Amino acid sequence: MSFLQNFHLSPGQTIRSTRGFRWNTDSNKDVDSTRSSPKRSRDDRSGLVGTQPNAQNLDTQLWVTPTRSGNTLPELQQRQTQREANVVTDFNYTPSHQKQFLQPTAGTAVSSHQDLKQIVEITLGSEGVLNQAVKLPRGEDENEWMAVHCVDFYNQINMLYGTITEFCSPQSCPRMIATNEYEYLWSFHKGESPVAVSAPKYVECLMKWCQEQFDDESIFPAKTSGQFPQKFIQRFVIPMLRRLFRVYAHIYCHHFNEVLELNLQTVLNTSFRHFCLFSQEFELLKPSDFGPLLELVMELRDR
Amino acid sequence: VNDIRSSPKKLPRDFHAKAELHKTQRVVSVCQMYFLDYYCDMFDYVISRRQRTKKVLEYLSQQGDLKSPDQLNGEWTGYLEKEHEILRKRRLKPKNKDFE
Ligand SMILES: [Zn+2]
Repeated sequence: MSFLQNFHLSPGQTIRSTRGFRWNTDSNKDVDSTRSSPKRSRDDRSGLVGTQPNAQNLDTQLWVTPTRSGNTLPELQQRQTQREANVVTDFNYTPSHQKQFLQPTAGTAVSSHQDLKQIVEITLGSEGVLNQAVKLPRGEDENEWMAVHCVDFYNQINMLYGTITEFCSPQSCPRMIATNEYEYLWSFHKGESPVAVSAPKYVECLMKWCQEQFDDESIFPAKTSGQFPQKFIQRFVIPMLRRLFRVYAHIYCHHFNEVLELNLQTVLNTSFRHFCLFSQEFELLKPSDFGPLLELVMELRDR
Repeated sequence: VNDIRSSPKKLPRDFHAKAELHKTQRVVSVCQMYFLDYYCDMFDYVISRRQRTKKVLEYLSQQGDLKSPDQLNGEWTGYLEKEHEILRKRRLKPKNKDFE
């Protein structure tokens, strides 16, 4: 079952995007064309001449689901019964509860820099625009695009979690869980089995771990000449995104009411939706990685 | 209201006291500003980059009859290298990460 099948699409099925974000409404073409297939060529750098860029009209762009067959969603992976009966979990994530705060907004057409600030304000919580923004710019190195986004999502999650640190303590969240069914453990030493830690401890370890990788020139090169390591995406990007996702999961499942009261639901939803669209565009995460939020992912995707 | 299993609107008992703390208000407003700024900047970058690419491609197609394919490919590659450098600098720009 492919990732998109979870969004009620069959492999090979083609849908027309009705929420198209038009970057350039005047000429109705965009050289920085978006791909309609998950198979992407990497020869942009070498061959420009001979293959004229096809001016694609994003408005009529078809969106084809991947035909690749993936894994089946494991039945409730990492399922855990709550071992400590005295720990009462505040299960405040229910899709019906959150639905009204997902705020669907009509698609937006942006053709210039003008009014960007205003558009961004509308767009935070809107849709369509982000779908286009996650696409790999024509000719760009995929690794660099991944690296930039890793840093961006790390910063976003740091910001979001920072707003609820007062409410996410070892007392309120003695374990790093997302609903009663998922608990994320932290491995302090290579080779040793991972252990249960409190949510704030987990986030602290995670952020430190990310930061160490960002600072490592052999993983995230800073020099112009610096190269990314072999299999950078599989070895570094995917593991990092899988772990960063868990902070979203914890916030949605256990602090969504606080987020609502602080009026941060729009930024949380925008950030998470951006994260999902990016992961989906490059097929980085599997449905099982979205475990506790799979329903929400579908909700954000479908509307 | 006290039964957290039946109340989707449940908040911790001391929520409002904590929410009103200057510290909390500050991180909340910093967070909102951060996202507004981030998305403004990100869209600005994406749109500008697309416009630059478009101009370069237009230029190269006009030069098609005057230059050899090797020259054109060289100019295109040179342009991409510059873009790549700009993108890398965006990743490395000092991040205002620790507000607390
Ligand atoms: Zn917590």
